[in-house]
Amino acid sequence: MAERVDAGEEAGAPYAGPRNKPARSEGVVVELSHEGGGNQRLVIRVPGWPGFDPGQFVMLSPGALSDVMRSDPLLPRPMAVYRERRSGADCDIEILFKRHGRGTALLADVLPGQRMRVVGPLGRGFQEPGAGERALLVAGGTGVASIRELAARCGAQAGPKPRVLLGARSSVDLMGLSDFEALEVPLEVSTEDGSLGRQGRVTDLLEDVLAGGEPFRVFCCGPTPMMRRVAELAEAAGRPCMVSLENPMACGFGVCLGCAAPMRAGGYALVCREGPVFAASDLSWEGLP
Amino acid sequence: MSAVDTRVNLAGIELRNPVLTASGTFGYGTEFADFLDLRDIGGLVAKSLTLKPRFGNPPPRIAETASGMLNAISLENVGVEAFLSEKLPALPDEVTVVASIFETDIGRYAEVAQRLGESSRVAGLELNASCPHVKSGGIEFGQDPGGLGELVSRVRAAVSLPLLVKLSPNVTDIAEMARVCEAEGADGLSLINSVQAMDVDVKRGRPVLSNVLGGLSGPAILPIALRMVWQVHHAVSLPICGIGGIASAEDALKFMLCGATAVQVGTANYLDPSVSGQVAAGIRNYALERGVARVADLVGSLEVPSRPLGG
Repeated sequence: MAERVDAGEEAGAPYAGPRNKPARSEGVVVELSHEGGGNQRLVIRVPGWPGFDPGQFVMLSPGALSDVMRSDPLLPRPMAVYRERRSGADCDIEILFKRHGRGTALLADVLPGQRMRVVGPLGRGFQEPGAGERALLVAGGTGVASIRELAARCGAQAGPKPRVLLGARSSVDLMGLSDFEALEVPLEVSTEDGSLGRQGRVTDLLEDVLAGGEPFRVFCCGPTPMMRRVAELAEAAGRPCMVSLENPMACGFGVCLGCAAPMRAGGYALVCREGPVFAASDLSWEGLP
Repeated sequence: MSAVDTRVNLAGIELRNPVLTASGTFGYGTEFADFLDLRDIGGLVAKSLTLKPRFGNPPPRIAETASGMLNAISLENVGVEAFLSEKLPALPDEVTVVASIFETDIGRYAEVAQRLGESSRVAGLELNASCPHVKSGGIEFGQDPGGLGELVSRVRAAVSLPLLVKLSPNVTDIAEMARVCEAEGADGLSLINSVQAMDVDVKRGRPVLSNVLGGLSGPAILPIALRMVWQVHHAVSLPICGIGGIASAEDALKFMLCGATAVQVGTANYLDPSVSGQVAAGIRNYALERGVARVADLVGSLEVPSRPLGG
């Protein structure tokens, strides 16, 4: 069974690794809402859920543990944990995702009461900002799902509020906006078609913010080309930058070796086990799929 | 309440039950500690080892296909020395460990085998003569009867441990390969490895894998694997370890009825890291319900009403 490994760490201390052991469990779908633009909000009640670090993920596959495994589509899907809500010994975890392929279509068609195989929490999360640093969170598209919890936890701490920059193609593609607004942290939005916030890319917003010279630590999740650009801008401004990768993976716990990301120092690191969060400067961006 | 004897002897390897986990799908075992009591399964076949540590292919390395997946990892592993000094000691003593070997030439295969043979923690060896996505090595040995025979003979001479040879399905006549292994002193056969395959991303006009070719695994290959186990069971007297798309006790029992003494769960470990323990429990329950005293009695018990095909 899942259990808490370590009571916690001081805010700002280097990330020592996952605080909670992963478990394989049978969740129950509490709610699935379609939020337009193919965006889905899925709430799953997970017995014995141990809690998670911002940036960690779960592997999801519809079905009961006692069912014969579904063979097509075969693989579970990695999904960032967006939020958790305690409910006695159980916990509801919330997942935000976009319907775009066969796996996400399967997840987008579940009904309340249906069983869900859940393995997690998995991976290494975000290192929270250190003393004298302010968090600057940058997300594009479905990447917003990976950073909400970090924004919430940073926002709840003493000291300067985190700044959040969200980008999407169009307003209908922007997930979770009202949740970010509810955090009451400085928030700016960009859309490529100008339907909401500033017209352009989220990296345009980032350039302006970094130009202010404040000692930010940048946290980022989104499509690879966007993250690469964010990493370049942060490096040019001399700011540390953490990114959360979304490579395809079959297992999520370090055995299929499918999610390998090339490293600047040579060799590969597993996104599921050594990531999904990496220091942007450790990655070999040219080799990422 | 009569107990069921779940023990089987696979080519001289004593297993507490017939369920092993397949090489390359189970890491070095410790990765599963949060999900499975390793003492609930017969044993594990560790990731294939080379003399020196080895990096894998660039991404993308995997892709989902209809009822299966493709992989071209290319035998990334820690190397035989790190396996012996770090990975093996991390496993509980009660866990039966079969080590898998892969190399690019016969001399190196024998060297890795010899090194593993010096460890009292290694219960047996599985010779991976059949990796379908490595440019040199394995696959040639697995596809050419002469090369395979020489490989088995050299490794056999290098080590006294029980020796399983993992066969490639990417051959015209798998029974011929099985006979070669038997003649050269193998103790048992593991089959099948993944089926050489590819897929294409039409939008980008490119193969989905960086390596172009990969190995197909998962439920899609189960009927192919079953056919080959059935054929090999009728071609040789060596014990067989059945592999290919096993995700349930029912799947595993199909292989046992067709002549497999034991089975390996592979790709299903990714989908459910506890599944191998459930497969073992399900086989036991099946025997219990049918009043079969020994699980070993199920092996090869397939009843074929009319003249069998393909044997």
